[in-house]
Amino acid sequence: MATTVLKQRPVASRRRISISFSQIFAHLVLLVMAFLSLTPFVWMILASFKNFKELVSSTNFLPEVWTLNNYSEIISRVNFPVAFINSTISAASVTAVTLFTSAALGYIFAKYRFWGKEQLFAVLLSTIMVPFAVVLVPLYITITGLGLANSLGGIIITGLWSTFGIFMLRQFMETIPFELIDAARIDGASEWRIFLQIIIPLSGAPLAALAVFAFLGNWDSYLWPLVVLSSPEKQTLPLVLAGLRNLWWTRYEMWSAGSMLTVIPVMLVYAFASKYFIRGIAMTGIKG
Amino acid sequence: MAQGTSTLAAKPQRVQPRTRSWTTRLRNTLRRPQFWFGVTIIVPTLIWYWLFAYQPIILAFRLAVVKYQLLDPPSSPFVGLDNFRQLFANPLFLISVRNTLTWSIFSFIGMLPIALGVSICLVNVKRGRNWYQGILFLPVVISLVAIALLFRMLMDPEIGQFNRILNAVGLPSFPWLSSSDTALATVVGIGVWKGLGFYIVILTAGMLNIPMELHDAATVDGVNGWQRFRFMTLPLIAHTLALVMVILALGALQEFTGVFVLTNGGPGNATYMLNLLIYQEAFQNIHFGIATAAALLQFVFIIFISLLQLRLIRPKWSY
Repeated sequence: MATTVLKQRPVASRRRISISFSQIFAHLVLLVMAFLSLTPFVWMILASFKNFKELVSSTNFLPEVWTLNNYSEIISRVNFPVAFINSTISAASVTAVTLFTSAALGYIFAKYRFWGKEQLFAVLLSTIMVPFAVVLVPLYITITGLGLANSLGGIIITGLWSTFGIFMLRQFMETIPFELIDAARIDGASEWRIFLQIIIPLSGAPLAALAVFAFLGNWDSYLWPLVVLSSPEKQTLPLVLAGLRNLWWTRYEMWSAGSMLTVIPVMLVYAFASKYFIRGIAMTGIKG
Repeated sequence: MAQGTSTLAAKPQRVQPRTRSWTTRLRNTLRRPQFWFGVTIIVPTLIWYWLFAYQPIILAFRLAVVKYQLLDPPSSPFVGLDNFRQLFANPLFLISVRNTLTWSIFSFIGMLPIALGVSICLVNVKRGRNWYQGILFLPVVISLVAIALLFRMLMDPEIGQFNRILNAVGLPSFPWLSSSDTALATVVGIGVWKGLGFYIVILTAGMLNIPMELHDAATVDGVNGWQRFRFMTLPLIAHTLALVMVILALGALQEFTGVFVLTNGGPGNATYMLNLLIYQEAFQNIHFGIATAAALLQFVFIIFISLLQLRLIRPKWSY
């Protein structure tokens, strides 16, 4: 379903002059928008290689003197390496478990029949409606009660199930034919084997999209880690990055270097997998 | 629990009486591998949802009507609607509600026309659509904290690049985030810049989903571009548009991170949002009850707005 959506599609043929005019106009608009989207990031990348004096005095886009001092200073003064490890642990574990739970529940809701299934699904789905602010304080109380305040576990455990992920994978898995599963059962495959060797490999596209959402959502999340994690050695990248505001007031070259350290992994993943990001988003919009 | 899939439901049985007793049925159920797979997955799921979804919601309703005692929660006294009364007595509450509503309306006005316009361009271009989408979507995936810092640098009143560019072309400096008259509009602008790609991708996908025959029919009928948009594209993407508007409203009404890092509600209270108030009441003033009361009001309002939008926009048909 999603793979067909973003493919190039011929536009209905119109008279040649109007086509070329509308084509040029559309490309112009898009080029301007692309320029506006990209330029601030390019400026940030370049600013991270400038020294402070040049950043505040020169109007040049490119650095006159390229320097890596900002990076070495920020790594030696701030907890960036530790925060990087914390962010990686939390995002990776949340992503891995979310993929598993969403796939398993998607499979059960799509292919099993049992008493109360639709009601159970509706009850799970209803949690999507609740704004995070409503559960912010109660969740904090719960996490504290479990002894997970100020620990990475506190931000990991709340992300292990994703209602959106269950919904998305159920939608997809309903398109997998029953015959495939029944054939495997007749051949004597266990449920776990059917799930791991038939269902999961067939669901590559939605799982890739969900992986991207889960990873990014966790990597970029700010409010919940801000509430849960207080000591510096437990903090994740966005928290440390936001802390730079108070540590170095208007030391913008340090801000740039810190932002780069936070953003580089995402940009790298994005450079190779942007189509999964975009497909995943597009997928949610198709059926409305 | 699990009774197997459709075709396996009629599993060949050993010779048995017509009416099976419930013990036999239970034994048959317990024998099924699907039952055990289902139980292994669903039981932890229910525990998690209870702990981290339902129980917090129930607790939220309790928190809103008690004066929460941090050191001895069970003895928190019942105070009825006193938390709500204190919330309304706080002058910041009305300010935050007004700012949040202004922010949401500005976001709609800024986001929807640009997103629709860019999507139409994207649908029309024959080459490079994926490249354009890839670039336009980049701000969506970048951490909001990094983007907030980036714009604070660019919008620095003295040494920021934006004012330098303005000065270079002979225009006076603009106060951006540093004046209470312009801060809210500036923050909305940054929000639109950050979120635009998301809505463009959804709207483009919706438009590309319109059957080709309709484009051909429109061409045969000789309609112009505006008519094509107004009477064909717009009604046909109504489902997608409804989704976009609901997501947009949900996001706007719950804004926190952007303003928290960009301005922390200032200058003055110009960008003070409801979620900022909830956060500060909860974790700086330790008024758990007042914070949760405000969050519940937000919840009610969000449900109301979402239903209203779906009722007004969502069409009755589907294709």
